[in-house]
Amino acid sequence: MAGFVLRRALLVLPSLFGLLIVTFLLIRMVPADPAAALAGDNATPAQVQAIREQMGLDQPLPAQFLRYLGDVARLDFGNSSYSSRPVALDIRERLPATLELTFAALLIATVLGVPLGVIAAVHHNRWPDFLLRVLSVAGIAMAAFWLAIMLQMLFAMRLGWLPLRGQLSVGLTAPDGPTGSVLLDSLIAGRLDIFTDALRHLVLPAVTLSLGGLATITRFTRAGVLETLQKDFVGYGRAVGVPRRRLVWIYVLRNSVVATVTQIGLLFGGLIAGAVVVESIYDWPGIGSYTVQAILTADSKVMLAVTLLIGLIYAVVNILTDMVHALIDPRLRDEG
Amino acid sequence: MRLTRREAATLAFAALVAGPMRGHAATPGILVRSDGQPVNLDPHQIFDVPMMGFALNVYDGLYRYENNPPELKPWLAESHTVSEDGLDWTFKLRGGAKFHDGAPLTAEDVVFSFRRVLAIGKAPASAFLPILKPENVTAPDETTVRFRLEKAYGPFLAAIPIVAIVNAKLVQANVKGDDNGTAWLATADAGSGAYSVVAGSVTPSEKLDLERFAGHFMGWSDNPSPINKVAMRSVKETSTGVLGLMNGSIDMTDSYLPTDQVEQIQASKVARVEKHPSMRTFIIRMNNGRAPFNNLNLRKAFAHAFNYDGFINEILKGYADRDPTPLPNGIWGYPKGAQGYDYDLDKARDYLKKAQAEGFSLRTPVKIHIQSQLEQTNQAAQLFQSDLASLGVRLQIVADTWANISTNVAAADSSPDMWIHWVSTYFVDPENWIGQMYDSQFHGTWKASSFYKNPKVDELLRRARGLVKQEERAPLYEEATKLIMADCVDVWIYNTVELRGVSNRVGGYRFCPVGGGGEMRWLQLKA
Amino acid sequence: MLILRKFARDLPAMLGLGIVLVVVFLAIFGPWLAPYPQDAFQSHLLQRLKPPSAAFPFGTDNLGRDILSRVILGARGALKVALAVVGAAMAIGVPLGLLAGYTRGFVSELIMRVTDVFLALPQLILALALAQLLGASTESAMLALALTYWPYFTRIVQAETRRLSASLFVDALQGLGAGTWRILLLHILPNALSPVIVRATIGLGFTILVAAVLGFLGMGATPPDPDWGLAVAQSRTYLPGAWWFATFPGLAILVAVLGFNLLGDGLRDIADPRLRRSR
Repeated sequence: MAGFVLRRALLVLPSLFGLLIVTFLLIRMVPADPAAALAGDNATPAQVQAIREQMGLDQPLPAQFLRYLGDVARLDFGNSSYSSRPVALDIRERLPATLELTFAALLIATVLGVPLGVIAAVHHNRWPDFLLRVLSVAGIAMAAFWLAIMLQMLFAMRLGWLPLRGQLSVGLTAPDGPTGSVLLDSLIAGRLDIFTDALRHLVLPAVTLSLGGLATITRFTRAGVLETLQKDFVGYGRAVGVPRRRLVWIYVLRNSVVATVTQIGLLFGGLIAGAVVVESIYDWPGIGSYTVQAILTADSKVMLAVTLLIGLIYAVVNILTDMVHALIDPRLRDEG
Repeated sequence: MRLTRREAATLAFAALVAGPMRGHAATPGILVRSDGQPVNLDPHQIFDVPMMGFALNVYDGLYRYENNPPELKPWLAESHTVSEDGLDWTFKLRGGAKFHDGAPLTAEDVVFSFRRVLAIGKAPASAFLPILKPENVTAPDETTVRFRLEKAYGPFLAAIPIVAIVNAKLVQANVKGDDNGTAWLATADAGSGAYSVVAGSVTPSEKLDLERFAGHFMGWSDNPSPINKVAMRSVKETSTGVLGLMNGSIDMTDSYLPTDQVEQIQASKVARVEKHPSMRTFIIRMNNGRAPFNNLNLRKAFAHAFNYDGFINEILKGYADRDPTPLPNGIWGYPKGAQGYDYDLDKARDYLKKAQAEGFSLRTPVKIHIQSQLEQTNQAAQLFQSDLASLGVRLQIVADTWANISTNVAAADSSPDMWIHWVSTYFVDPENWIGQMYDSQFHGTWKASSFYKNPKVDELLRRARGLVKQEERAPLYEEATKLIMADCVDVWIYNTVELRGVSNRVGGYRFCPVGGGGEMRWLQLKA
Repeated sequence: MLILRKFARDLPAMLGLGIVLVVVFLAIFGPWLAPYPQDAFQSHLLQRLKPPSAAFPFGTDNLGRDILSRVILGARGALKVALAVVGAAMAIGVPLGLLAGYTRGFVSELIMRVTDVFLALPQLILALALAQLLGASTESAMLALALTYWPYFTRIVQAETRRLSASLFVDALQGLGAGTWRILLLHILPNALSPVIVRATIGLGFTILVAAVLGFLGMGATPPDPDWGLAVAQSRTYLPGAWWFATFPGLAILVAVLGFNLLGDGLRDIADPRLRRSR
């Protein structure tokens, strides 16, 4: 198993290098550069050119790429053109918020989606199946920004149960802590009041973000369980008198989750991308809204760093997914 | 009463949306602003509207604009003198001002600040770089600052408030390598202003907290109960900001409230909309530097084809003032009785015929670039498209971003046929508008993206720039403006009315076009 | 016939089929069905943001255009984007997946590594780069979506192919001397089809939604296209007041995506050979 993991991890390196090249080329081919905007309103063309040179935008592409590779090797992503802050620092401060949001959404999606998928499969082509299929698809199809605003209207405005926006109420400050996550750090610091406040702020964004994933997980679980139900061992199980409930929820489910686990892995990256919209509506201080800002202002260092980060997360999740596969289905182990 | 199903659904929705709000989430004693913060807190690196909303509170300058229309008032300086040739400027400091860390603010800090602006060379520097060398800013004594300009520059005094004075010792202590302290000041406070940044409260582009600086040099006698704590939160979606205002969790939105939101805020009883005419002009640029808009008749045809009144009265609900010139209403140098171009499709058709006779073909579509984040540019383009279509002209809308447009305007060939933008007040001087928009030496910058070149206009603008006295400069700008309008360089549309949602618990609101009413020294919070 | 009868018993699938047929119908005949077809580009300032009424059942938008007409006219664009993207992604992804799953060694490795690279490429950033290179338009958005979507098919098909090629019947076919492509196309592909169909149906919905997000960032459809996503994005500024502006185009997206997904589910059930055998 350890060898398998190591081999899998080594295989990620060329992928990341490929990603580095592809994104670097794409972003550098984009004509927009922030120099003109930085030079400001009364700038002379000479001033714009000076800023361009200062940013190294006037050098040939290969030279820029080599310089960039060197920086990445030292985990130095440079300073953002706009904020003048090290990109690595910005990301380190913002990543925990996005991970918090994404994990919460994934948790909601999995905890609800898997049982719903099983129920739909067991009641294949009867009304619970119909209903769940329609509802779960509706979840995918709902535009996140529309749903988010409706949830705000209902829960923050009309009922007043949950906060409208942000990560923490005005007047509260997140305690310093080792994780950077407000939820975990407030628990570690024993500040239950802050923990509760942060949790209340998390509910609406996480629910909004979870819906797309919920639908996907329900559908794949349903498909997997349906397929497994056709297998011979189910018939044997029934014949030897294994209780139906136990048969479905344990044996069938275990044999059906391969596709679902793959989907959860793929979803994680999708959720981080989906966070872009959700974060901006709820003003969640994560990397989603940070990326949008970078895209709109052509802040290439931020775009490169975020691309690499998402790539890395993807790679790690892929390795984890493969490990889970290997645990569930030992035949896959020696194939890499 | 019998309801159709649609009416019932509408009612149910209205109940959900407009029913009594339970979430009265106002924070006692803290003013919550949703107009965000600059992407970087260093006033020498960024110069935009959010920065002005921040810097006017945290920093001070030698002079400051106040009231509407804006008046230039002595601030850290108590007075200034200028030599007859306009080259030597001497500012006398008021004395007694202190930075937030308690250190006295001296002429050395002023010199350091101006030199730092020039060294960094970003937005705030652009007015000064062509006329001021760092070594020519000096401090002969603790309360005197001298500037020796390379050449006379009329707008110099008007541009003085751009430079925020920073605490020289504090910044120098945080310099890394040759970065001039830019990395540190991006999230820190080295000011002397009425409010100071609460240490550790800054998340860039998301949030920061301010607290009142009791030791501010202007004192607090003109405000018996000032606000002690302010939370600045960046709200990215208009709808979130409006909802927050209506449930009390936000006290002030930004000053770009869409006109369609005004009515429901006014009706809400918990908040109001502050409406103030401002010096921000809205313009559709035409690229005079190449076909098709190097043709005067075509430009006139377009200028007559925009439905100015429809746009202002119907789309903006009257919250804007028609301005047929490139200068904002109410500024000196504005030509009296300027006529401009009106919406008249018959005239447009005539000019279009002439343009066609001169080679313009209806088959070639004209492209207009909008800033897709700014809904109003989109509406203006679609309205224009609709009218031009009735003349047989195909206007093609291209969704674009600021970063991309401001790169492409570097040359006439890559610059769009047309694009839409505002020109805000950075300093109150005609130079801020026509000077930098139509003098051909600025070609390659976004402000001069019409690529207009008229030697007569160039000469007038340059002469006006080299004079100091307003009464000598004004007639030159008037003449230049008339020439520019006769050449129908761009489609000039309106002068903005700024709209800001403000909670009814906030009192003492004052507006100035510079900073858009973001200054908080006079504000009060009712219980 | 048995298949059709079984399909007809599947209520959600029939509902989905119905919706898809309506969408296709609207896409083809929209300009003749819309009450105000000229509202695709013409604005009427005096009737901006009017709530639903008899004259305008879905209300009017920020430029006074009939939202019902624009919803109808938007079907064509939505269908075009969804089908083109998913079609292109399948055309690239499925053959690569078959090849990578069936062969061992260098080719397979290379395909899967390249797949990983593209899978890890954030869609938004790719879409932005292409929009800037080719100009912001529906076409560059479609290209960006197709370029980031094919790896999903490759991965799924590769996994299925690998599983199937280990099974006895493939050994038997190889023993009989069947050619590689014959085995792949005629024997493995049909068996691997069910997850591909599930993925493709999700993809149709997903594509319409991501196209909407791109429109929202100014990199997809351009005004005055009667694009549903663009309409929802533009309507954000007018919420919470003008709820109809956001709601009806939003519902159009929801219903269309729902239709494709339900239909896809139904197809999956009949396409799956094991299910077919058992009932």
